[in-house]
Amino acid sequence: MESELMESKLKTIFAESLDIDQSIVTDNLRYAEIPQWDSVAHMALMAYIEVGFDIMIDTEDVIDMSSFEKAKQIVTKYLD
Amino acid sequence: MSNTKLLAGRRALVTGAGKGIGAKIIDTFAAAGAHLIVCVRLPSQELSDQLAALEQQYGIQTEVIIFDLKNESAIKQAMKALCARKIQVNILVNNAGVAAGGLLGMTSLETIKSSFQVNFFAPVLITQYITKLMIKQGQGSIINLGSIAGLDNFPGYTAYGSSKAALMQFTRIIANELAPHGIRVNSIAPALIDTQMAQQMEDKAATNMLGRSAMRRLGRPQEIADLALYLASDQSSFVNGQIIRADGGM
Repeated sequence: MESELMESKLKTIFAESLDIDQSIVTDNLRYAEIPQWDSVAHMALMAYIEVGFDIMIDTEDVIDMSSFEKAKQIVTKYLD
Repeated sequence: MSNTKLLAGRRALVTGAGKGIGAKIIDTFAAAGAHLIVCVRLPSQELSDQLAALEQQYGIQTEVIIFDLKNESAIKQAMKALCARKIQVNILVNNAGVAAGGLLGMTSLETIKSSFQVNFFAPVLITQYITKLMIKQGQGSIINLGSIAGLDNFPGYTAYGSSKAALMQFTRIIANELAPHGIRVNSIAPALIDTQMAQQMEDKAATNMLGRSAMRRLGRPQEIADLALYLASDQSSFVNGQIIRADGGM
């Protein structure tokens, strides 16, 4: 999957899963820095990403996915 | 009550299924119509024969996954491969365990770590993977085999009792976390059951434990398997986060 396509899809997933506007899904969006992205929302986000990209994310990466920027790196790893 | 088809069409993953309580659980679940994923450390002809007989008798599917619960990488590899198949796993029975006895001053840290690896860390890791499937299914029942050794204060149970206590507390916590996903989690806390594991116990300790039970006898593996069947089935649909003692009355 091309990088731009992956990022666009991931941005949509973040927005829909966290129920936030796509405009705030930037590399600087970080876990626990907005009320919508708490631990419960994080697990739901992981499920959305797994289904959306047909991947299964290891627990270590679930824990590591602390920002949108990190999410891009991690998802890329699973798609390669 | 007949257990005919209580688990019809469901798939159960059972660890430590090669002997004792685990072997009875797979017999009982098969009779109730469940397909089986049987996890053992070593393959055996006896297990293969048992599964072939169950397939023939009950028309179910069975498969064996071989890995050592002491090996974290092996667990991950096995679970990843299973999850990648995108099959349904409706029931998880974390049954495998290792016994370890000894007074505090005679219990090495190595023994404690080893007990925790098999009796707690391995079930936690397996549960993390299988719940990914269950969450997508919106349904699941997890049964963790604890022990009264993790509830009561028998001397000589630092390693075993503490690791089982951890597993039972884990049961209660994740029962709360996973309920919104339609997943129930319960634990069975058996007393001394007539298995090879019980035979490893010191005579004095075993006698003491039996003496505390109103029924004054060893439990039977079938009695634990029957309780596991109840917890796996919809018969227990409102039972969640419980530690159910099976101890003959202590």
